Amino acid sequence: MHRRAFIKSAVLAGAALSLPAGFAPFVHRIEAAGPPDLVVAQGASPAGITRAAVNGLGGIRRFVSRGAVVVVKPNIGWDRTPEYAANTNPEIVATVVRLCYEAGAKTVKVFDHPVADARRTYKQSGIADAAAAAGAVVRFVDERKFKDMRINGLALKSWPLYTEAIEADAVINLPIAKTHGISGLTLGMKNCMGVMGGWRGRIHQRIDESLVDVTRVVKPSLTLLDAVRILTGNGPQGGSLTDVRRLDTVAAGVDPVAVDAFGATLFGMKPTELGCVRIGHRAGLGRMDLARMNIKQIRL
Amino acid sequence: MMKHLRRLSQGFFLLLFLWLFLKTESTGADELAYPVRIFLDADPLLFFTTALATRSLDQPFLWVLIVVVVTALLGRVFCGWICPLGTLHNLAGALKRGPVRSRPANGYRYKYYLLVFLGVSSIFTVQLSGIADPLALLVRSLSVSVHPALQVATTATFDAIYASFPAGIVGVSEWIYGGLKQIFLAFRQPLFLQSASIGGLFLGILALNLREPRFWCKYLCPLGALLGLLSRYALLDRTVSEGCDGCGACARTCQGAARPDGKETWRKAECLACMNCDDACPRNAVRFGFSRKKPVASLDLGKRRVIGSMTAGLLAAPLLRTTPLSRPAAAEPKLIRPPGALEEKEFLRRCVKCGECMKVCLTNGLQPTLLEAGIEGIWSPMLVPRIGYCEYRCTLCGQVCPTGAIRRLSLAEKAEVRIGLAMIDPGRCLPYAHARSCIVCEEVCPTPKKAIWFETAAVKTRDGQTLRVKQPRVDLELCIGCGICEAKCPVLGEPAITVSSLGESRSQDRRLLLS
Repeated sequence: MHRRAFIKSAVLAGAALSLPAGFAPFVHRIEAAGPPDLVVAQGASPAGITRAAVNGLGGIRRFVSRGAVVVVKPNIGWDRTPEYAANTNPEIVATVVRLCYEAGAKTVKVFDHPVADARRTYKQSGIADAAAAAGAVVRFVDERKFKDMRINGLALKSWPLYTEAIEADAVINLPIAKTHGISGLTLGMKNCMGVMGGWRGRIHQRIDESLVDVTRVVKPSLTLLDAVRILTGNGPQGGSLTDVRRLDTVAAGVDPVAVDAFGATLFGMKPTELGCVRIGHRAGLGRMDLARMNIKQIRL
Repeated sequence: MMKHLRRLSQGFFLLLFLWLFLKTESTGADELAYPVRIFLDADPLLFFTTALATRSLDQPFLWVLIVVVVTALLGRVFCGWICPLGTLHNLAGALKRGPVRSRPANGYRYKYYLLVFLGVSSIFTVQLSGIADPLALLVRSLSVSVHPALQVATTATFDAIYASFPAGIVGVSEWIYGGLKQIFLAFRQPLFLQSASIGGLFLGILALNLREPRFWCKYLCPLGALLGLLSRYALLDRTVSEGCDGCGACARTCQGAARPDGKETWRKAECLACMNCDDACPRNAVRFGFSRKKPVASLDLGKRRVIGSMTAGLLAAPLLRTTPLSRPAAAEPKLIRPPGALEEKEFLRRCVKCGECMKVCLTNGLQPTLLEAGIEGIWSPMLVPRIGYCEYRCTLCGQVCPTGAIRRLSLAEKAEVRIGLAMIDPGRCLPYAHARSCIVCEEVCPTPKKAIWFETAAVKTRDGQTLRVKQPRVDLELCIGCGICEAKCPVLGEPAITVSSLGESRSQDRRLLLS
């Protein structure tokens, strides 16, 4: 029994360790002029790599100005505790909140419009407590603050969106990397769906176009992808530790398509395999050609 | 003097009751922070009828024991000083203007007949006491009707102000609204089937106070009757001195049906120990004190009537249970019981229809039955996935159930309990019937290995285009029947995936799968 458990953990650990090599071809150590397109930070401390990634992009002041009202939008979609990798790592959320306040933000709001019961997702994910401890205003969504907005997008003509997210000075998108039945993976663009009200299930009919539309309206100024733990099966909800892999990684960028394109590689997928990445690239929302990007890698 | 003390006590217990009621709500943690069902735990009627119906004594009994001992020593102080419904009757009775019409002389006996009926029917395993038990009735009425209706009214008011008043006023109103949300309103608007009828019944019972204050307590309350029986030999006694001139001031203030105005007529079992007669007596002739006198007026219920109530109790079982619903194949498929609910027969012996589980249910999915579980099971809990599903890691209904009809489950046990099975209607499902992507059901399926999986299929659109869509399938081995797929299915009204109670793990004879 011990031997079997050891072999299992050794195989998993080996797989996890070898994964960075999988995306190595995309990572360039050459420093180009100006901030890099993407920063990939790796290390044992989620707070440490979060800070390093943001600093690598030029620092939080690039995104948050003094007196700003900032929305930090993690994934708080499911009633799962952090080790199941169904919600954004609470330490990452708290660190980003602290960074915003360090840049002089007036208010930092943290919320999500979860699928499961909001009280349980906020509590069980550890995000409500961690973000509140960092000084964020953590509120459940108020149904009255969804306003029907014109989108005129590829799939969505108009939809009720959360006014606080639309009116904020800056939106910082904090997705976690997971598998997902209809969209393949759920990364940054999928996480923007959290600002949608109404009967959201309908957007599954044209999920990829819808995600591009919503991301275009939300306009996240920074996307920081949580890959400290990723969910490799039974996503987006998970529930089994065998589906969780620990990568101790975050990836940050201004371009939401680029971050998602990179996120795909964490699962051994090509960026073009993700519909929303392909369509986002074609529609000019961002780029997916990782080979031509300046990607800075940091190891702590 | 005693009146003020009593009112203080009544106010305290009413507020405690209401506060615990409002706290019967999730905070997101796995456990509730307060002993919210403590009043129901202290209810001797629910305790004894459940014990009789189940022939077991496995319920918590500490609080019941305290109430029984206190009643045996001091009389019906529970009715006069503690019972939150009694206090509400007092408040409603304060609206009564003018003199009380002459009361039926022996009306107080009806509650004993009701008690006999409930007791005898519970011996024959029919548990109906919760329908008339004051605490179960109050919790149920507040949960299902009063609180939801107050929330509808509050929200509508503040929404109207929010939508159409200038910012200054909205600032103030939102501040008040925020406070109300913190202390009074439920996290999300609760909405229940039969809200109007259950609430109407409750208002009707309160309205009886306009005919005569504490009408319910005097004539109808079966718990009052039980406590009356227990209090017949109470040590706290009432004496009237020679100074009494029969002015009748005490009779006008009596809250029970105790007839305090005649020396030999005082009925100890009907005295709520409100002590109004002591306060009201102009000659100060009334005194409450401890003695070991025998009860003066005997409780004469009339043999024929008692036998009549016993017969009714005896007939309850065959009358209510002569129904095809008891056959496995004919059982109502919509009757999805909460997770941890005992096997149906055993469940009905215990469920007192108090509505605690419905109050605490995260998603509002637990609703009162009408006839789905037979007349015997009226107002017992049923999951209606269209209204709300069973949250995978929530065990609150089992935590608040006062009689163990819903077992308290650990998170590990909860994951194993199957309350039904989901099945797909390919005639309505978008990827099957309409060549459109969907599989919302697969996304929301909460089991660690998803019970809903999908096959990728090539389908043709009207213009001959071939489309690849994912068609959902249910793994019957893994499905636990939580109903989130039905709740979130975008085909509204009559969803393309529905859950029925078929296959529920509490039933031996309604299994579907061989293994």
